[in-house]
Amino acid sequence: MTNIAEARIRREFKEVVKSDEVAACNIKVELVNDTFNELRGEIAGPPDTPYAGGQFHLEIKIPETYPFNPPIVKFLTKIWHPNISSVTGAICLDILKDQWAAAMTLRTVLLSLQALLAAAEPDDPQDAVVAQQYKENHSIFEKTARHWTAVYAGGPKSYPDLDSKILSLKTMGFEEHQARAALSSKGWDLERATEYLIN
Amino acid sequence: MSTDNSSKPAEASAGAASSNPGPSENGEDEKAAVYECNICLDTAHDAVVSMCGHLFCWPCLHQWLETRPQRQLCPVCKAGIGKDKVIPIYGRGNPNPQDPREKLPPRPSGQRPEPENTGGFPAFGFGDGGFQFSFGIGAFPFGIFTSSFNMSDNRPGPPQAGSPQHTEEQFLSRIFLWVAILFLFWLLIA
Repeated sequence: MTNIAEARIRREFKEVVKSDEVAACNIKVELVNDTFNELRGEIAGPPDTPYAGGQFHLEIKIPETYPFNPPIVKFLTKIWHPNISSVTGAICLDILKDQWAAAMTLRTVLLSLQALLAAAEPDDPQDAVVAQQYKENHSIFEKTARHWTAVYAGGPKSYPDLDSKILSLKTMGFEEHQARAALSSKGWDLERATEYLIN
Repeated sequence: MSTDNSSKPAEASAGAASSNPGPSENGEDEKAAVYECNICLDTAHDAVVSMCGHLFCWPCLHQWLETRPQRQLCPVCKAGIGKDKVIPIYGRGNPNPQDPREKLPPRPSGQRPEPENTGGFPAFGFGDGGFQFSFGIGAFPFGIFTSSFNMSDNRPGPPQAGSPQHTEEQFLSRIFLWVAILFLFWLLIA
């Protein structure tokens, strides 16, 4: 039965490579090895979202029982999103869990993830801190998400004020990503972020 | 505007290039694609179609239904689906059409073998064997002793047939035989 998984991935791989979305540089899939059980995905941040202009890399693992069970997907690119862990990149998306259907493909998974970037579900969060910020302080959330896109996903440069706050924490001896994560989760309040890092 | 114009011919030429290896072959590929199983993406064999109109190989759909026995939904549109809610398809090429749902051997139902008696209740199993074992030791030498005594004894020969002693001995031997049978029977059911 393992052969079904491999044969299907081969076909899907061709499908994704041929699809219009690849032509438009929206989604991309690459092989990691010859056994077709691990792939790298790439999706473009949807326009008119804080993720616009970024390219997000994904780790896709194909279980032996594919397509009867969903692929295991997580973000490799760090991202600030209520349904994606800012620490591990784990994704909370129903079709990757109990709503998976055997007729779904790598293409539909990548397009669904792109749709998730455009429409977050803060009431079913993966990252509680981000989800809370999304609901309670949406402008800060958008700014943070855009900043993370610029730094980690190659999005357009933005917000020198945020960079300067990170720099001041760096001069205190904290590692850059650690400083960014602390500031992001504390609403870019330098004092609270410092306190959080010290504790 | 200018980028749009330039990208369209490029796409068209790419499409033409991909269909280059024989237009008839490509046409057949496309025809076959209409009959692809929605699960394995290969041309459906032992094909069945759901009430919602989606085509599958029966083995593929069967495995999907087995994967989620509690939630039997169409893999394409998530309509209700099940073994009795799909229709087998018989093409003309098949000389002896058979319902694919009956062709696939139903998977053997789950069995729960008893755990092996290694350490769980060792005394119970061993005691049982020990009893039979000790019986064997007790009876076997006894048998040897009696037979050897028989050999060495100068016993009187059998009495004349028809004599009262003969009938008495016959009667006794029969009683002993029945006692032995009863004893063996008791051993079996004990």
